[in-house]
Amino acid sequence: MNRLAPRHIVRLAIAIVAVGLWPASAGLAADIPGLPHVDLAVNAAGPRTVETLTVQSVVRDYQRAWQSLADSFRYGEPTLLSGYFVGPLRTTLSGKVTEEARSGLHSQYLNQSHKLEVVFYAPEGDVMELRDTAEFDLQIADGSKTISREKVVSHYVVLMTPSADRWMVRELQEVRNF
Amino acid sequence: MWWLTNIVWVNRRFALTVFAVVCVTLNAVAQELRWPADTPAGVALSIASSGSGKARLYLLGPAGAFRREIQLGQDVQISGRDLSTAGKYLAIVCSDTCKTSVFFVVAAAAANLTFLVHPSRVPAGQQDAISGVIFPFDRFHNLVLDPVAVTFKLSDAGSEVMSNTVPSRNGVSWFRANAGSRAGIEDLLASVGPVSARRVVRLVASDPCNLRIKAQPSKSGIAVETEPVRDCAGNPVPDGTIVTFTETASSGKSTVDAPIKQGIARAQMVGGGRAVISVASGVVLGNEVRVSEGQ
Repeated sequence: MNRLAPRHIVRLAIAIVAVGLWPASAGLAADIPGLPHVDLAVNAAGPRTVETLTVQSVVRDYQRAWQSLADSFRYGEPTLLSGYFVGPLRTTLSGKVTEEARSGLHSQYLNQSHKLEVVFYAPEGDVMELRDTAEFDLQIADGSKTISREKVVSHYVVLMTPSADRWMVRELQEVRNF
Repeated sequence: MWWLTNIVWVNRRFALTVFAVVCVTLNAVAQELRWPADTPAGVALSIASSGSGKARLYLLGPAGAFRREIQLGQDVQISGRDLSTAGKYLAIVCSDTCKTSVFFVVAAAAANLTFLVHPSRVPAGQQDAISGVIFPFDRFHNLVLDPVAVTFKLSDAGSEVMSNTVPSRNGVSWFRANAGSRAGIEDLLASVGPVSARRVVRLVASDPCNLRIKAQPSKSGIAVETEPVRDCAGNPVPDGTIVTFTETASSGKSTVDAPIKQGIARAQMVGGGRAVISVASGVVLGNEVRVSEGQ
């Protein structure tokens, strides 16, 4: 079991409070510094047209999902995933966070930028498939020793579904290319 | 002789440089593991390594991460369980330096279908009223992104109404269909090879059609009742559907809402003098009946 340094505890507390406050600050996400940059294109969406408010919600919630993913890995805290990930994906990611924390490995996702494109929006609006071309700096450390640090361009296939007040990420599968 | 000494000194320096380059190259080669480009989910791997000595292997995938000591020159075994989640895997081999390799695990064959059908109840005979969406997943819950042929079948009371095969694209396939004309249960079956998923949609009677009433005097006024209320396909409109009777007379207008019971809606109007009684249900208007006192 790794002990957290006091400054990490403070950061973790801030992250947990921030996750708790997110719903209250809905609509302000784009103005909050530190959140990943997300662009969303809906030209290829179909068969249902993506409404403007839906675009805003998806961008906001995808930003927060990735921020919570990064925080979760950074602090080794799987519960941070519960706000924006759902289903088997949440179980999978939680398992990875726990395993990394147990083995002393730390992944950090830094300077994220995401280009999202909706490729499918179900006729009844209950599921959306997107493609994400993500750029970030991935830093992996074993204890205090950095074993890998590189700028990564990754391609993700994403499924999102609406819940009571937000869009949840249900599937996040990285592929070699689209 | 100074030039001969110089040549020997240069050759020795060159030889040392070559030796150093060879050593560096060998070190790089020594850490090399030959990973596959893409591998299906859940399939164990035996990875050949070159060189000698001990090294540390880190494998970071979408679902987990481990660190393991390995012996270079021997095959490295990775279990199928460690490779069950589709996505990118980073393999980092460290001895003196660290070298990172990347490979991808792709979804295995479809083993489960997520079949979303809307709505669960639909009026009979409506065009494009039913929609279905299919996501094929493998046995490890990975979305199958390679195109697969998805067959949709709609059947009504055992007889097939529609059958269509749609290839999946980006891991999704969808359809729209007309609702059948007969009220009851409509079966929807989606299949990918031997894997299938079944859903049902209840078809209910549509809006009433040819709504007609008759009226006759009664002790307390005028008794009105509908003929059996059916939709245009002949399906009986469900009990509980509200029918509105309106009586317009010189004394004013009165309205009675009555639910259909056993296919017929009944109401008692006040009567007195000449009046026109009309009937409606939802947006559908029926006939009018003119009555006068004593009739």
